Amino acid sequence: MQAANMLLKKIVRCSAFSFSIQHGLKQGMFPLRRTLVLSPCLKDDNARGSSEKVDLDAWKEVMKSGLQEVSETVSEPKELSALAAARETLELWRLVGRPVPENITDEQMKAFMECPSKSAQKKYLKYLHLKEQHKKNNKRKMEEKRERRLEAQERASESEKPKKSSFVCLWGSSMDRAYNWRVAQSMIFGQPLVFDMSYEKYMSAREVANAVKQMVLSEGCNRRSADPFHIHFCNFKDDSLYHKEFIKHYRGAWDKLLITVTDQCYTDIFPKDKLIYLTADSPKVMKTFDHDKIYIVGSMVDKSIKTGVSLAQAKRLGLETAALPLEKYLLWNCGAKNLTLDQMMHILLTLKDTGDWKKALEFVPRRKYCGFVNKPLHELKKTLNLVNMLKHGKRAEELQKRFANNYSKRLIQK
Amino acid sequence: MALFSQPSQHGLQALLWKSRVFWPVSRCNQLFAVPFGISKRDKISSFSFMTSSSTALPVDPQGTDACPSKKRSEGDYEEEKGWDEDTQEIHEGNVRFSSSGGTLKKQLMNHTVSRHKFATVQPPTRPLCAEEWNRLRESFQSPETFEEVMFNSMVRYNSPIDVAKSLLTHVAKSNGDIGYNLLVKYLALCVQQGKTSEIRDVYDIMKIRFKILESGAYNLLIRGLGNSDQWRMALTLLEEVKKVTVPSRSNYESCIKAAGRHQEMALACELYHEMLAKDLVPTLDVLQALFDYSRGVRDPVLQKEMFGVLLYLRENQIYPHKTFMRSIKLWFESIPGEKWIGHLTNIKDSGQCPVCNHQLEDSELTEEEYNNLREKIIRDVIHGTDTFRKTSPQEFEAFQTFVENRLPFDIVIDGLNISHIMPRKVQCENLFEAVNCLAKDYSRLLVLGRKHMLTNSFNWKREVMKEMQNKADFFFAENISEDDAFLLYATLRSGKHCKFVTRDFLRDHKACLSDSVTRHLFRKWQRGHQIVFFPSAGGKHINFLPACSYDCVVQTTGDTWHIPYKDTFEEKYSYQIPRKWLCLQQKYRTT
Repeated sequence: MQAANMLLKKIVRCSAFSFSIQHGLKQGMFPLRRTLVLSPCLKDDNARGSSEKVDLDAWKEVMKSGLQEVSETVSEPKELSALAAARETLELWRLVGRPVPENITDEQMKAFMECPSKSAQKKYLKYLHLKEQHKKNNKRKMEEKRERRLEAQERASESEKPKKSSFVCLWGSSMDRAYNWRVAQSMIFGQPLVFDMSYEKYMSAREVANAVKQMVLSEGCNRRSADPFHIHFCNFKDDSLYHKEFIKHYRGAWDKLLITVTDQCYTDIFPKDKLIYLTADSPKVMKTFDHDKIYIVGSMVDKSIKTGVSLAQAKRLGLETAALPLEKYLLWNCGAKNLTLDQMMHILLTLKDTGDWKKALEFVPRRKYCGFVNKPLHELKKTLNLVNMLKHGKRAEELQKRFANNYSKRLIQK
Repeated sequence: MALFSQPSQHGLQALLWKSRVFWPVSRCNQLFAVPFGISKRDKISSFSFMTSSSTALPVDPQGTDACPSKKRSEGDYEEEKGWDEDTQEIHEGNVRFSSSGGTLKKQLMNHTVSRHKFATVQPPTRPLCAEEWNRLRESFQSPETFEEVMFNSMVRYNSPIDVAKSLLTHVAKSNGDIGYNLLVKYLALCVQQGKTSEIRDVYDIMKIRFKILESGAYNLLIRGLGNSDQWRMALTLLEEVKKVTVPSRSNYESCIKAAGRHQEMALACELYHEMLAKDLVPTLDVLQALFDYSRGVRDPVLQKEMFGVLLYLRENQIYPHKTFMRSIKLWFESIPGEKWIGHLTNIKDSGQCPVCNHQLEDSELTEEEYNNLREKIIRDVIHGTDTFRKTSPQEFEAFQTFVENRLPFDIVIDGLNISHIMPRKVQCENLFEAVNCLAKDYSRLLVLGRKHMLTNSFNWKREVMKEMQNKADFFFAENISEDDAFLLYATLRSGKHCKFVTRDFLRDHKACLSDSVTRHLFRKWQRGHQIVFFPSAGGKHINFLPACSYDCVVQTTGDTWHIPYKDTFEEKYSYQIPRKWLCLQQKYRTT
């Protein structure tokens, strides 16, 4: 053992020795030592000589000489205010390559300082960073578009051709008018659809913003549909966060929207036996879309899944509940079964128009399911096989058998 | 390998087929094959029945994953080097990435070739001149990130520091400045190799160039300087960090270890307390370091501090891992003049230590703790933000009156959970068996269920249900209510002697509790009162594991200490308790 140790030591020494000989210096001994630069115009293929003429600590000189100028400008207040210090830190983080926004307003800075924990700070910075990136990309795309349009115009002006058309080009506004007529009709004769706005206390500000965004989208797709719903926003409190966000989105159009906004509860407006609360936690599964019922959608975004909140609301008011038959029609893959409000809207509109579940459930995000159930059995097996192979590796066969058994049982029960 | 001798093959095959355990057998195959060095042919012959039988799954003898995946446990600790009885030296300059037990993963990552596109850059082995760097840079796929990528791979391959210096020089010469990111990466390389003078230089340069540094650089500096003889610098840096933000626990860890290494135990303890005051959770490494460095020191104040650390483990229900336990044992045995003797042991179910026959603390809560826990369960778990989420006010009230009228119960059973014990049996039969089995030992039973159990169906036969109701009280909650919360309430309301039966770990209910003190109370109570069923091997009847009668925490009587510990590689969940204990007792001089 000892002999081996000695040998090892010798070898190490040897190599170190040769190394130091080769490089002509001892590491770490003289940190500020400067070796002479011999001739700067050595041939670069002369590798062995080249290592000797590299001055390894020259960078420190460069850095420190650059400092004289810098230190004259800085060098005074060592004590920074907390805000300034945080700003500096962010700048350095950006240099290191963390996801930090380049420009940050004082308001955002304050929000950053008020974050309860370091991880919250990190998340907030990342969010701002991504927001900034999106903004930049959009700007870039807009500019490219503008350039393309200008080019196209130039080309068009070269080949001047008067177009003949029996329509005046008023697509946008006339479409709008047509849509508004339809929605106005639905306000009088249409089937009501209720958005329940009583979940503000369960949500963070960002979740409320997301929920409002989704509701704006659903209002838009409702307006464009052939047979729109009459949308009700119930339990809507003035000057709530919801309200503020809606004003942000719609600005002046908020008061002209063809929807009913009320602070009343839906139970005060509609007869209780006609109301059905749609919630993913419901034990009852919706079989068909009923044109005489009034469906309620809880306008809540829960990034951290809060199970049973809307079900509790329905229980409290003694309402009937229903969940979409996702299990029945889709081979669910992964992801939560709560869908976004605009997806919900699309699905309900499609059901209303066609009554075709398959068509309606195409609005469920593709990543969440592997396929539709009504495929022939061998194809279904193939999909399952694949999924299991991906998920469980070898135990796939057994699982598949079990699943197939259960599945046939379930079908028999239904 | 007598296990697989020829005549027994058929029997074994039948057994295997019955219980469908091919996987363990293949593991067995490996486990045996390694120590006994069986040749391949032998292996094949003894396992030929596996493949010849058409019903068996194919077994891949190379297919097992020998390394169990290591999850993040509640107390983080890093992997230690092999622990040596005589000396445990701390390698200076060997930077170990602590926190969250990620060292192992990192090492593995280093060995596996990651598929990152830049991983192919091999740093040069000797310093290069500007020309050569330029050429390398040109040949690189994206020259603008060349320096950064190169530095990253230098850190990964632990290149000699001169190579990094030559690159820095090249950058400085061509740009007249070096970016902060490169400086930090260079600093990481210096810290990795323990080059103190370089660390100092980089720090000086950074100080003049930047008004303030960020957490990454501070981390590296504190770690690097803490491992050197200039460790006092690390303390001043720690003060600097405090001005801007709360230092991370790894900052404190480096400083505490540095102070300990230089026998400044008072300072180390001061830092440790400061850390606790800032609500940072110390890594087990820190605690272990405290024990390691105060070994053999005679100082009553310090001794008290160490006992304080042990009590901290007790308060937070932390179980030390094996190496940490060894440090504790050695520390005790090294106290001059006190003659502590430590033994490793397993505690019996009765809660008696086989070494010193000391009876461990029982897991009973005080009356006050009971009431506190019950109130919190009602407030946080049953009501929460909205009573309707788990039950309804009417239902809960009905349940309360039901319980009050029939108090006290001896055992409360989660009917639905128990009915699923044996999946091949009808659910009500499972429950029936369990109730019968328990009725022998306990006189007053309460079974919680849901209303759908009352409708006559294949799984819930009315006659069986009727018969059961003669032996036990039943309460049926609504089908969409949570029955677990009722289970907890009924058990707590019945008092100390009452146990409950479910296979649920109750993690989600524990998570509902608002403060950690109550959560610990809950766990303690759960350990002492939960009875877990498991079906016996034959599948004929049901056994159950008794609740743990003693409390599984670090405990002392003054002249004895009992410390539960866990093996390093065991995956431990919060509801599992270690079975292994360190028993320490003081041998008084019999004069």
